[in-house]
Amino acid sequence: MTALGKAEFGVQTFFAASYPNDKCGANGLPLTPNSIKILGRFQVLKTYEHPNICKYLDIVRTKHERLIVVSEYYKDNLQNKVKTDHFHSEKKVIELAFEILKGLTYVQSKNLTHRNISLDNILLTQKNEVKLSEYGLYHMTDEGADVSFPIGKAKYMAPEVFCCGPVVVDENCEKGISPPSGPKADCWSLGIVLLEVLLVSNMFVKKPDSMISKVLIFFLEKDPLEFLAKDCGFEDKLQNISVELLSFIKWCLTKSPSKRPSCQQLKHHSIFTVLNSQEVPYKNGYKILSVKPRSLDLELPVLDQLSVLDPDHLSQRSMEEVYYLWRLAGGELESILKKAGLIKSHPPITLLPLLCGCEGEVSGHIRDQGELLDQTKVVLSQDQLRNRLQDIEEKAYYPLLEDDNLGLPTSPSSGDLSDTASLPLVIKERDIEYQFHRIILYERLLKAYPYKRPYIWKEARLDIPPLVRAHVWAALLEVEGDIDGEYDNIDKETPTTTDRQIEVDIPRCHQYHQLLSSPTAHYKFKRVLKAWVVSHSHYVYWQGLDSLCAPFLALNFNHEALAYACLKAFIPKYLHNFFLKDNSAVIQEYLAVFSHLITFHDAELGNHLDGIGFIPDLYAIPWFLTMYAHVFPLHKVLHLWDTLLLGNSSFPLCIGVAILQQLRARLLSYGFNECILLFSDMPEISIEQCVQDSIRIFCSTPKSATYRQHARPMKKVNDMRPNLSYYSRDYNEQPQTELSMEAISIEDLKSEKCPRISAEDLIELGELAGPRHTKSPTKKKQSGKPMILVIDVRSIEEFKRGNVPGSINIPFQTAFSPEGDLSPCQSVTTLNSCKSLVKVIVGNRGRNASNFANELVRLGYSRVCVLHKGIDILRSTGLIIVPPADF
Amino acid sequence: METEFVFEFKCKGLKSKLTVPVNIPVKEPVEELVGRLVKAKNLPAYVVEDLQKDLCKFVEVKTAEWNEKNGEEAIKAVFDNKIDENILIDKWNKAFTQEVKTYAKPEEVTNEQMFSEVYHSLIHSPALETVLNLEHTYALSVEDIITNRDADLNHLDSKQQEEMEEALNNVGIKYNDEDINQLAQRHFDNTQLISSKWASELSNLKETQKREFKEWVMKVHEDSQNNSIPPTYLLRAMSSALPDAEDEERQSQPTRLEESFTIHLGAQMKTTHNIRLLCTDVLDLCRHKTHTVGGIAIPQPQRLQTAMSLYSNSLCGLVILVDNRVNNYTGMKRAFSKVCEQSTDFHFPDLDHRYSMLEQEVIKMNELRRKKKEEDDMSIKSNGSNINTGDFYITEHSNLSEIHVVFHLVCDDSVRASDISSRHPAILSLRNIIKLCFRYDIHTITIPLLLTHEMTEEMTIPWCMKRAELIYKCVKGFMIEMATYGAQESRTIQFLVPRGLSEDMFNNISNMLPTIFRLSNPVIHRTGP
Repeated sequence: MTALGKAEFGVQTFFAASYPNDKCGANGLPLTPNSIKILGRFQVLKTYEHPNICKYLDIVRTKHERLIVVSEYYKDNLQNKVKTDHFHSEKKVIELAFEILKGLTYVQSKNLTHRNISLDNILLTQKNEVKLSEYGLYHMTDEGADVSFPIGKAKYMAPEVFCCGPVVVDENCEKGISPPSGPKADCWSLGIVLLEVLLVSNMFVKKPDSMISKVLIFFLEKDPLEFLAKDCGFEDKLQNISVELLSFIKWCLTKSPSKRPSCQQLKHHSIFTVLNSQEVPYKNGYKILSVKPRSLDLELPVLDQLSVLDPDHLSQRSMEEVYYLWRLAGGELESILKKAGLIKSHPPITLLPLLCGCEGEVSGHIRDQGELLDQTKVVLSQDQLRNRLQDIEEKAYYPLLEDDNLGLPTSPSSGDLSDTASLPLVIKERDIEYQFHRIILYERLLKAYPYKRPYIWKEARLDIPPLVRAHVWAALLEVEGDIDGEYDNIDKETPTTTDRQIEVDIPRCHQYHQLLSSPTAHYKFKRVLKAWVVSHSHYVYWQGLDSLCAPFLALNFNHEALAYACLKAFIPKYLHNFFLKDNSAVIQEYLAVFSHLITFHDAELGNHLDGIGFIPDLYAIPWFLTMYAHVFPLHKVLHLWDTLLLGNSSFPLCIGVAILQQLRARLLSYGFNECILLFSDMPEISIEQCVQDSIRIFCSTPKSATYRQHARPMKKVNDMRPNLSYYSRDYNEQPQTELSMEAISIEDLKSEKCPRISAEDLIELGELAGPRHTKSPTKKKQSGKPMILVIDVRSIEEFKRGNVPGSINIPFQTAFSPEGDLSPCQSVTTLNSCKSLVKVIVGNRGRNASNFANELVRLGYSRVCVLHKGIDILRSTGLIIVPPADF
Repeated sequence: METEFVFEFKCKGLKSKLTVPVNIPVKEPVEELVGRLVKAKNLPAYVVEDLQKDLCKFVEVKTAEWNEKNGEEAIKAVFDNKIDENILIDKWNKAFTQEVKTYAKPEEVTNEQMFSEVYHSLIHSPALETVLNLEHTYALSVEDIITNRDADLNHLDSKQQEEMEEALNNVGIKYNDEDINQLAQRHFDNTQLISSKWASELSNLKETQKREFKEWVMKVHEDSQNNSIPPTYLLRAMSSALPDAEDEERQSQPTRLEESFTIHLGAQMKTTHNIRLLCTDVLDLCRHKTHTVGGIAIPQPQRLQTAMSLYSNSLCGLVILVDNRVNNYTGMKRAFSKVCEQSTDFHFPDLDHRYSMLEQEVIKMNELRRKKKEEDDMSIKSNGSNINTGDFYITEHSNLSEIHVVFHLVCDDSVRASDISSRHPAILSLRNIIKLCFRYDIHTITIPLLLTHEMTEEMTIPWCMKRAELIYKCVKGFMIEMATYGAQESRTIQFLVPRGLSEDMFNNISNMLPTIFRLSNPVIHRTGP
C-alpha cells in the first residue's frame, strides 16, 4: 500500500490511434479499438509500487478513442529544479542518479522499458525524492503500436531506438513491425539526463529535425560524449566534472547496446559505493491472502512524548482510497481537463468527410488538430475532498474492532450514518462520508482476515463498498491458503479439447464491458477458465462457465489467482455438480424445486405458467447455470451477488421467483409465444427490488421446501458460524435424522405442484417441541420464520384418534364439491381467514395429501406444502395428541 | 527466439539433466513455467527452488541478449546503409511534427473557425433572438427575390407558349420550319438570359447577406466582449411587439402521421434509444414552413433548435436517395436544391460549390479504387467521374429546418426490386452512414424506411412489409454493432415513409416495429404490495 503522503493526483489525456473507416479484422468482425487495448494493458500498472516511481491510479476511456490517465504527481520536476541551482554539488547529482536507478531497476524488474525518460518526467517531492513518471506509456500502448504519436523525446533516445524508426504497425497482427526497445535504452537516456543536470543546460534545441540528423552522426564518431561536448560547446565544462562521475556518464552513453551496462550494473558503479551500503531494501508491506509470514517485516512505530502524529490523517490512507473518495467528492476528470483547455476539438460538423464509398472508404475530411499529443498534466485539486471530510473526527480514521456494538459512528454533518445505511445501495455508493467509514472499517477487517471473518460476514449484510468488493467476496467465499502457489502450478498452456469452445465463448461474454472486451482480459479469461477445467477433471466445460467467471475476473483483474480461487469456491457452493458431463438429473431436480417454489409463493402465476406450458426448462437453465451472470449486466450482477454470496445454495431459487414477480403482470397477460420472446431478451429488472424480494421470499419459505438430493452434502468440518437463526445454515448441511427430508424421484417431484417439508421443519415452525428463540436471518425485525397452519386431510375418524396440535381437519374425501370448489365448513372458514399462513397438508401415506394440495393450488391458494411421509412420521415423536372428545 | 535451458540436479546419487526449449521473450510468469516443468517431468519437490532460481536467471540473461541483438541489428542496418539515414530522419520528423503538439505547427485559426466559435457562443447568449430574427429577415428578402423570379419566369413562359402556339398554328402560312426553329432558339435564349439575370441577382444578394451577417456577428461579439452595450440592443430595434394571432393561424399546421417508440438494445447491458416512424415528404424536414402571426412571418421554433445545435455534439442527419450524376438538374436533387436556395447559408458553401469539390474527390476515389482492384485482378473498367451505387456524399447545411447534415446516397433502380438482400450496396451504405453518425456525433438520423421517396405501383403491401422488415433488422444490427465497446449515448432514429402511404399500411409497419425492436419496460402503476 502506498500512502498518499504529500502526493497530488495528476491527470493527462491522449488519443489512441483510430483505424481507417473501412478497416475490419481478418475474421470480418469489427476491430477492437486501440483505446480498449490500452485500457486492458494499463491495469497491471496499477499494482506497481515503489518509493521512486509515481503510482498509476486510473484510466478512463471517453468518446472517440480519448483516454484519460490519472497518476501520482508532484509539481516539481528536474526540468524546473535544475535551474534553481539545487544540483550544483556532485554529491547531489550522484544521489539523484542513484534514486533514478532505484526506480528504473524496479520498473525494469517488472519487464517494462521506460522509453520515456526526460527531465520533466522525473518528478521531485518536497523532500527532493525522485519519482519517475510516465514509465507506463510505452507498455500500455503496446510498445507504441496503439497510438499514432512517438513515445519519448527525441534527444533522450538511444541510438538503437533511432535506428528502428517510428513504430510502424503491421496491418495483420496490429503489432509494431520492429522489435520493442529493450531496457538498456533507458540507461542511455539516463546519461543524457545527468549530463543536462550537470551542465544546467538543455542539450539540444526544441525543434527535432536539426538534432535528429546530428545524433545519427554519432555513429561516425568514436565517442558520443566527446562528440556531444564538441557539438554543444561544453567541452570546458566537462573539465569541472570529476573523473568518476564522467566515467559513469560515458558508460551510460555507450553506443552499442550489448556493451552498454544494464541498470543493475550501473547501480554497482563505484560512485554509488556509499549509497549502496546505506540502502534499505524496499519492503512492500502487507499483502492480503498471502502465505508469507505477514509480520516478518513488522516494525512497530515508536510513539513517545516527542513524536508528533501527523494531523493530516487522510495522507496516511492509501492512494487508491483517497482517489476513490476524491471521485465521490464530485471529481470530474473530463470537466477538469476541459477547464484546462486540454480537451479542445473542432465541432464535428466541420470535420465531416465529403464522400464515402460503399466499402467505407472516406475522402475529403480533415484531421482534427485537437487529437495531437499534448503532454501537459493537470493537478486534481484535493480541496473539495478535504472540505467534505473536515468535520470527521480523528477517531473515525482508526476504528476499534473489538468493540462489539461498534456500528456506524454518528457524524456531525450528516447525522446518524445508520440512517444512510438503510438507503438504497446506489445512493450509499455515492455517499462520500458513508463510504469513507465503510472502507476504513473494511480495510481493517480485511487485514484481520480470516480471524475476523464472522465480523466481515456481519458487515457484508449491510453492504459492500465497491472499492473492497473483490477481497470481501473472497472472504465470504472463505478463500484461504496459498492461492498463488496453487494457481501457478496449474498448467494453463498445454492445449486441451475445450480450448476451442472457450475461445468461441469469451468474445461473447459481457463484451459491452470495456475492461472485459480488451485482449488482455481475453487472455486472462482463457487462463482462468482453463485452469478450472484442468483442475476439475470430473467436471466438464459447459457454456456459462465463462459468465460465472466474468464477475470474478472483472473484480480481480490484476490477480488471476484470486479470481480463480473465488470461482473454485463459488461453484461447489451454489452449483454443486452442475458441471458434470451428464448434469440432467441435477438440473431437472433444481428446476422442479424451482417450479414448486413459484407455485408456493404465487399460485396464480404458477397455474398460468403451467397452463400455457411455459416451464422453467425453457428459460431458467441459463439463470441457474450462470447464477444470473449471463442474464444481467455486470454492475447488476455485482449487486445481486453481494447478497447471493450471503445466502445458501437455495437462495438462487428465491432470486428466480423474485424476477418472475417483477414481471408478474406481463407474464399473466402473455401467452406462450410472448413469454418466450420476453425471456429471449431479458427486460430491464430492478436489482434493488429483486434483492429485497428474494430475501423476503427466502424468509417465508420453510427451509426443507428447497431440499434437493443433489445439493452439496454436509461438510465434515464444523462450521465456525453458530447456528444463530432458523436460516443461518443450509438445510443440506444439517445433520440428517429420521425426521429429515429424503430423496424423492424426479417423476414424483414433477407430478406434485407443491413442495414437501420435513417433519423436523414442521416441529420447528409449529413450535411443537416448545418455543425456541430464533433470530431472523436479516436485519429486518418483522420477518422471523414463516407462521404455519396445519391442515389434516385424513378422515374425521382418523383425525379424532390423534392429530398434530393446532391442526384443522378437512377430510379429502368430502372436501371438494362436484364443481371443484371447497365445500364450506368451519375448517374451510378458518383456512380462508388465514390465507397468508403457510399451509402444511398432513395426510396418510398415499397421495391424498399431495392431491389435496394440488387442488388448493388450482383454487389459487399460495403457500401450500405437504408434510413428507404424512402423519406416520410423527408417531415416534410423541407429539400427536388426542383431541378432547367433545371437539 | 528459441533457446535451450539446461538444468542439472542430483537424485538418489544420480546426476540428472533436464533440457527444455524456452521461447524468448517469455510470455507467462517463470513460476508457471516451473510448475509445468515439475509436473511434466515429475521432478522431486526439493529441486523446485533451485530450478526456479536457475530458470529465472536464465530467462533474464536470454531476454537481455535478445534485446541487445535487436538493438545491434537496428544500428547495423543504418550503419550498413540498408536503411537510408535521410528517410529515417524524415520519418522521425514527421512523427514528431504531425502528432505531437509541442512540435507541430501552431494551428492557424481560420476565419470560418473563428466565425463558428463566435456564432456558437452568440447563439447561446441573450443575443440569440436577435441573431435568429436577422437570419429570418435575410431569408425573407431571398424569398422575395425567388418569388419575383418565379413569377417573371412563369410570365415569360406563358408568353412564349402563346407565341409558339400561335406560330405552330400558322406553320406553312406565316412561318416556315426555319422560323419555328429560330423562335424556339430565341425563346430559349431569353429564358437563359432572364434566369441568369435572376441567378446573378440572387447570388449577389446572398454574398452580400453572408458578408453582412458575418460582419454583424463579429461586431456584436466584440461589443459584448467590451461589455459596452448589452448584446440585445439590436433586438429592441427589430422585434416589435407582435400582433395577436389570427384564428386561422392558431390552428396547428397539418400534422404528419408519426409514432414514437423507446427501445432497448443489447443483451445484458441495455442502451436506450428513440425510434420515430414518420409519414411525410422528405423535404418537409428541410423546408421552412411559413409561420405567420397576425400576418407577419416569424421564424419557426425548429429553427432555433437547429441553430443552437449547429456547432454542438448533437447533430441531426438525413439520408436522401439520389442518382449517380453530380448535379442538381433532376428529381430529388432538383427539389432539394430548391429548398436549399430558399435562404442564404451563412456557414457552408452552396450546393454548386460542393458539387465541383465533389467531382474532384470522386475522380480521386475512383482512381484509388482502380489501383486497389488492379492489385487483386487486372480486368477492371475504370468509371471515371461517376459515382457508384452505394457511395454517398455529405453536405452540411445551416439553413434547413430540422437537419444539419445530409447524406446523399446514390441508388439505382435495383432498390425497386422486391428481393434485395442485406448485402445490397444501399444497405451497406446505411451501415457506413450509421458508423459516421457515431463517429461525428450525429445523434438523430432520418432514414427512408422503404428506400424510396415516393409511392410507385410496384410497392404492393407485401413489398412494403418486406422492405420495412429488412431495413428495421439491418438498422438494428448496425446499431448494436456500433454501440459495442461501451458507447452508451442514446440516439434517435427516424424512419421515414413516403407521403401517400395508406394509413393502414402505416399502422402495419408501425405494429411490426415492436416485434423487431425490444421496447423498454412499460411503466406499471403498482397498487398494493
